[in-house]
Amino acid sequence: MAAWDLSVTVEDLGPDAPPVTISVASDLHVGGVIVKLVEKTQIKRDWSDHALWWDQKKMWLLRTAWTLEKYGIHADARLIFMPQHRPLKLDLPNGKTVRLRACFSDPVFQTVMGICRQLNIRHPEELSLLRPVEEKKKKKDKDLTEEIYDLTEVPLSSVSRPCLYNGMPAHFAESEKMEAVYKMLSITQTPPAPEVITKQYRPASVVDKAHINGRWLDSSRCLMQQNIQENDRLWLRFKYYTFYELDPKYDVVRLTQLYEQARWAILLEDIDCTEEEMMLFGALQYHISKVSQSEPQALSTNTAMDDLESALLSLEVKMEGESSSATDVLIKRSCVNVRFRPKRLTLKGYKQYWFKFQDTSIAYFKSKEESIGEPIQQINLKGCEVAPDVNVAAQKFLIRLLIPAPEGMNEVFLRCENERQYAQWMAGCRLASKGKSLADSSFQSEIQSIRSFLAMQRNNSGSSSNAASSDESINTHSLVSPRYHKKYKTKQLTPRILDAYQNVAQLSLSDALMRFLQIWQALPDFGLSYVVVRFKGSRKDEVLGIAPNRLIRIDLGVGDVVKTWRYNNMKQWNVNWDIRQVAIEFEGNVNIAFSCVTADCRIVHEFIGGYIFMSTRSREKSDVLNQELFHKLTGGHEAL
Amino acid sequence: SESLHELEDTDLDALMADLVADLSATEEKLTAEIQGLKAPSPPLSSSLVSTSATSPLPPPQAGKPSKEDIEAQMKADKIKLALEKLKEAKVKKLVVKVLMNDGSSKTLMVDERQTVREVLDNLFEKTHCDANVDWSLCETNYELQLERTFEDHENMVEPLLAWTRDSENKVLFQERRDKFEVFKNPQNFYLWKKDKKTLKDMKDKDKELLIKENFCGPSIIVPDLEGVLYLKEDGKKSWKQRLFQLRASGIYYVPKGKTKSSRDLVCFVQFDNVNVYFGKDVKNRYKAPTDFCFVLKHPQIQKESQYIKYLCCDDDWTMRLWMTGIRIAKYGALLHGNYKAAEKKSVVSSAWTNRSTPSSSNQSTPSPTIRGTRCPPHPQEDFGNLPPPPPPLNEILPPPSPDPVLPPPPPSLASKPSGPHRKQPSGFPPPPLGIDNNLPPPPLPPPIDEAPPDFLPPPPPNTGIGSFPPPPPNTGFGSLPPPPPPPPPPVSSLPPPPASFGGIKKSLHPPPQDPQFLPPPPPDPVFTSAGAPPPPPPPPPAFAATPRANARPAGSVKKMPPAPPKRTTPVAGGGGGGGDLMSELMLAMKKRSDH
Repeated sequence: MAAWDLSVTVEDLGPDAPPVTISVASDLHVGGVIVKLVEKTQIKRDWSDHALWWDQKKMWLLRTAWTLEKYGIHADARLIFMPQHRPLKLDLPNGKTVRLRACFSDPVFQTVMGICRQLNIRHPEELSLLRPVEEKKKKKDKDLTEEIYDLTEVPLSSVSRPCLYNGMPAHFAESEKMEAVYKMLSITQTPPAPEVITKQYRPASVVDKAHINGRWLDSSRCLMQQNIQENDRLWLRFKYYTFYELDPKYDVVRLTQLYEQARWAILLEDIDCTEEEMMLFGALQYHISKVSQSEPQALSTNTAMDDLESALLSLEVKMEGESSSATDVLIKRSCVNVRFRPKRLTLKGYKQYWFKFQDTSIAYFKSKEESIGEPIQQINLKGCEVAPDVNVAAQKFLIRLLIPAPEGMNEVFLRCENERQYAQWMAGCRLASKGKSLADSSFQSEIQSIRSFLAMQRNNSGSSSNAASSDESINTHSLVSPRYHKKYKTKQLTPRILDAYQNVAQLSLSDALMRFLQIWQALPDFGLSYVVVRFKGSRKDEVLGIAPNRLIRIDLGVGDVVKTWRYNNMKQWNVNWDIRQVAIEFEGNVNIAFSCVTADCRIVHEFIGGYIFMSTRSREKSDVLNQELFHKLTGGHEAL
Repeated sequence: SESLHELEDTDLDALMADLVADLSATEEKLTAEIQGLKAPSPPLSSSLVSTSATSPLPPPQAGKPSKEDIEAQMKADKIKLALEKLKEAKVKKLVVKVLMNDGSSKTLMVDERQTVREVLDNLFEKTHCDANVDWSLCETNYELQLERTFEDHENMVEPLLAWTRDSENKVLFQERRDKFEVFKNPQNFYLWKKDKKTLKDMKDKDKELLIKENFCGPSIIVPDLEGVLYLKEDGKKSWKQRLFQLRASGIYYVPKGKTKSSRDLVCFVQFDNVNVYFGKDVKNRYKAPTDFCFVLKHPQIQKESQYIKYLCCDDDWTMRLWMTGIRIAKYGALLHGNYKAAEKKSVVSSAWTNRSTPSSSNQSTPSPTIRGTRCPPHPQEDFGNLPPPPPPLNEILPPPSPDPVLPPPPPSLASKPSGPHRKQPSGFPPPPLGIDNNLPPPPLPPPIDEAPPDFLPPPPPNTGIGSFPPPPPNTGFGSLPPPPPPPPPPVSSLPPPPASFGGIKKSLHPPPQDPQFLPPPPPDPVFTSAGAPPPPPPPPPAFAATPRANARPAGSVKKMPPAPPKRTTPVAGGGGGGGDLMSELMLAMKKRSDH
């Protein structure tokens, strides 16, 4: 066969080097071309990751046994010889950026698998890549020189090593720098400054929310084919909202990143919630940030706490508390003058009594001297509602108790002298309301958390004059969406979050993370990805919501869901690639068809297929990802 | 080292004894107030303690750990044991009168640790009903005209303790379709917007999928409910319409002039501190627009109060949607767990009932009559529950009228009970009486508690616990020992025995000390013979093997004879009124839902 000259750009020779020309015949296979190229360049290195990219056709010549003829390559082909794994800047759900080597030749689905392996995220099928929203280059870009966590040094081979060191993949243990990367990946970020939240783009409507979904990359094609260049920036996000077997034990990074994504979705009102829910999310964020700082990596707190020791402890206290002779100790600890106002009796003004905390009850006496005798009244707090009414600046420390009784709820206010006393009594009341006595091991930590919250309020209120930011101080505006920045001042917000906080203050880090995710997942709009579509026969834009188990149709005029279709009733779906229309048939002869406005119909198609794929996962097969099935379900006629 | 250990034992024991004495003293006071019976657990006697403590010893030695280890271990065990006992000593037991559908009633002893599920299981054994998943225990509030089905996982005693002492509230044992309907037909709740036909034709696998999606995921999904309901505002008489929405975090409403957007919603109620009840007769009582009313209130509230929230729906189905939705939001996965457990139970028990002859050693009654509802009452059963017409009781109980006959004047009741009371203990436990039939099942340790009859002349606590039954019947449900208030016999389940009981109470007092000299000897032998670990009632480890049997004698006793005869009452009638009403109601509701 006739030989002809093929010129190939070898990337490793540098950008300005001329192409290398080799003499080939059409029956030479791609592998042979590569051998020749390598010989010609005379560079000694590991070429195993290199492959040929055919620029005009936007394709990799990965089948090394195929001949040039079979590929249809002629002398005019622009070929580039380069590594398949190339650096990429990835914006993670937590807002940090990592630079790592990703595969530019595999379908994105596999590329994401590789990325997740490096980052130690299980179930990569739930994540994908999207093009970032162009940021308008604003004035001072220089102070935004963000830190980039570099993972490009990780040898590709090491990633496949399964060995975990200390719950951490081995490649993260190699240097301090790498450990820092892992820390960034696996520990939640401190709450962002309120300004940071305010500055970010927030969707104001479903249509706004739909735009982001036009940015997803095609899972069945590779990065090069989608015009992603080396060192480009992409976002890595959870795309399919069905999180298979989240387990704090194995999913440290996954859980953390998922939490971050959820947190931002809430802070930026990407998903709507009520004010009460927002306060609870705020409280959980506060708690998570606090615990993750004090509990580095110790995911499960004292699960193994010495049984006996705790038993002894409680015995001790029980003896003190319950045998009449030994009450002294408890009294010393908890007996304080608390002023008391039964609401009905007086309009204002508090009367001072001597209070005693015992078990889950408080009893009060005229004075300390009389505290040995019968109390004026004893109130069992079990099941009552406890709410703070505190203003540090004004030195107001009220505990509002709503105590259930057969006739209704009795409202009682306890007024404490100072912060210290308040924290103790508040802690006691809270425990008692849950049926726990002061002897409970959580008493001290409860006091601590109340005090730290008070400290927060103090700092906030004094921040105007003196910005003494102790590490305790978190601006509560950092924990809620900007809407509430306007609605509440921090000193109004703090007690509300504190209120919600009491229900979560005892959670361990991983429990708190899980709780956050649970509440998020229980929101009515959870899991919906929106696309603006035009239904066949309709003249107006409507919104299609794609959820893990259903599609919904939102009428923009009505502003509400007008129709729901569940996947399990779906008989088939098709894409007419010519007219770019998605057609779906459901049981009972229900047919719908629509064209997509804010995203390519390929994206909608992939979402639906992807969710159906997710539902096929099962425990037995969870180790092996059925990629073929995924591509079959999502790839359409372009499937590999 | 043995002697050393023993030394320590005794020290510890002494300590325990002190502790217990104190405890029981204070507790007595308490009980008087609470009406809860807390019988200091019998096993507290020092001897018992030591025996139990030592028994675990052998094994460790076998393993030849170091001496210190052993000692440490022993100490640890002992302390645990002691703690366990402390707990045990505080366990309250309540005698509960449960109204059956047919108007009869059963009385049983409920330990404060028992769940509704356990009580239901007891009732299954007593009634030989088909044990299907719909069987439920419900509470009715007479004063407020409310009712609520207890959830199976709930603690049984707790809600009852909230009743006022003269309350006419009742506990009913009934089939309630609503309890688990959401698991049988999830589409009716989760896809309620779909047309009726689709819902009706729903395939089983689609139903399963719905359950999986909503109950088996990482978070529980609450049905998407939204609609206009009538609200009776705090303490006001008028009813206002509002657009309400159910979310996992509570019920919200859309304020006037606002959109339905989540952030504008106003929280109406969160579920942590309230239960959902069905409100009866609201049209009459409160001029409600409809009679399909559900009510949210703190379980402690027993009387009219502005803190009770009434919501009226347009129709029965909407009301049930909401009530079920609220339960899902409140209890989440627990409900599904309850359903699974109930299903399992119903399968097992249908297997049981189908079996013609008892094969297991457990089976107490030989047999044949298992299903008949009205078979001759066998005495045995009576331990825990006081079925109305139990002959044995009569024998024992001079007082002629057991419970069905309700209204014996309080005084008489009082006097009678005390008499029988004492006897019972002795008569009771000892298998001899009626028990022979079912005694065969020896293996079960529980009876042991009651075994001590011989040396239990006085009505010590244990006996009280175990055999108390007699008195309660009349009273209905009360707490055992110090039941102060007079019983409105027929109707109410509540108030324990009348004044006369006071006497009983007194007699009970001694108990605290009893333990010390009481039971020691017998238990041991018994236990050993039984082959069971030497668990004195309370010890925790032993427990595992014999689940709670000791803890709640009444219950356990019942358990052993699984197939005892049934004693539904011939003499029906007492307290029936409420039950009938309820059953009619249920019927009506069923009819509605059926079509």
